[in-house]
Amino acid sequence: MIDENSILNRIEEALVKANTTLDDRTLAFLDDYNGPFSAILRENAVISEESGLPLCQDTGFIEFFVFMGHEVVLQRPISEILDNAVRNVYSNNPYRYSVVKDPLQHRENTGDNTPSVLHTFSQTGRRLEIRFLVKGGGSENLSRLFMLNPTTTQKELVDTIVHSVLENGARGCPPLKIGIGIGGSSEISMILSKLALTREIDVANPDPYYAMLEERLLCEINSLGIGYQGLGKGITAYSVSIETAPTHIATLPVSLAVDCYLSRRGVLVFED
Amino acid sequence: MKIDDLLCGQELSFTGKILVMRDAAQMRLRELQEQDRPLPFKLEGTVVFYAGPAKPTKESFGAIGPTTSIRMDCFLEMLFQQGVQATIGKGKRSDLATSLCRRYGRAYLLAPSGAAASLSKRIKSLRVIAYEDLGTEAVYEIEVEDFPLIVATDKNGLDIFSLNRG
Repeated sequence: MIDENSILNRIEEALVKANTTLDDRTLAFLDDYNGPFSAILRENAVISEESGLPLCQDTGFIEFFVFMGHEVVLQRPISEILDNAVRNVYSNNPYRYSVVKDPLQHRENTGDNTPSVLHTFSQTGRRLEIRFLVKGGGSENLSRLFMLNPTTTQKELVDTIVHSVLENGARGCPPLKIGIGIGGSSEISMILSKLALTREIDVANPDPYYAMLEERLLCEINSLGIGYQGLGKGITAYSVSIETAPTHIATLPVSLAVDCYLSRRGVLVFED
Repeated sequence: MKIDDLLCGQELSFTGKILVMRDAAQMRLRELQEQDRPLPFKLEGTVVFYAGPAKPTKESFGAIGPTTSIRMDCFLEMLFQQGVQATIGKGKRSDLATSLCRRYGRAYLLAPSGAAASLSKRIKSLRVIAYEDLGTEAVYEIEVEDFPLIVATDKNGLDIFSLNRG
């Protein structure tokens, strides 16, 4: 059995780190960037780490991706453990409660940033892997699902994605991390696009065809010249990550998910 | 802030009062306006910042930064009719918003995104002036010092995002 407290402690620590510390890729971007607001962005990284104030006021909707080995035993449902971690972190830190309960009628705030989003995947063995995104609303509004024809060419697919980033990318707080889900059913495609956002920036798709497609998309998106905050200076995207799944003969679902320049995420592994 | 002097692309360091509000508060204002009822605070002469702050600490006001302005375009004419001089947010807006800036002679400015800890240090005072029940989405009046801004759309309707697209 994996001790509940060890999961709680490590998730809580990782959520705080994601909200207050830049990863290496973002730091490298800031080192190179000399466009508008560059001084305050550098200052922000220092103030956030020292003061515990979050890097961004939108401290997100927390999305978890859990890979659960079939021999893993927990003391309570994983959804409860993860929501407890989120509740503890967001109640005890100067973050923002950004979740409303009813989406259309009342939109009253839940007051502790729960519930979080949870996707679980089953696998063989004793390993429990928990990935998460701290997902801001601005980048989330750029999510798209395209139900393409199964006879779509690679060029048409690329044009569809690039056009969407051209039209909307500036308001997702670029430089962006781009996740693409190809195949599956409509909802699997969307989930894959989010899962792709949890991948390390410098890790390519293991299939050379999709690794090349990631490169091609990144190249075309960066040639748009959107830049930091859409102001034309600095890169437009850090990376493009593609995840795929089998699909129906009549369909080709393609999903686009976008993460902002802070790319707040984490990966934790436990063994039972 | 003298709107007439602002030019598209200009960088500013603003010191003064700003009204903070976003989606939910503007929805309530629109409902009041549709029912011909008075608004709970004055908008005449104000600068509106589209934002919702995080929680404060003992030492500091809460982290704050711009939210996506295009979501607020449907409320922009209402704000201008009420006398709002300029809005602050992030991202390219609709053609409607740009033409409203030109028609009313008002401006749209950008604040840096992903710089919320830094921006909170430039707040000198903060008070809730309406809709406290909305939590982070309440209406606040803040006083800021050396707040970094860029003029995205000026009173002539010149827009930085259209210029960047060539």
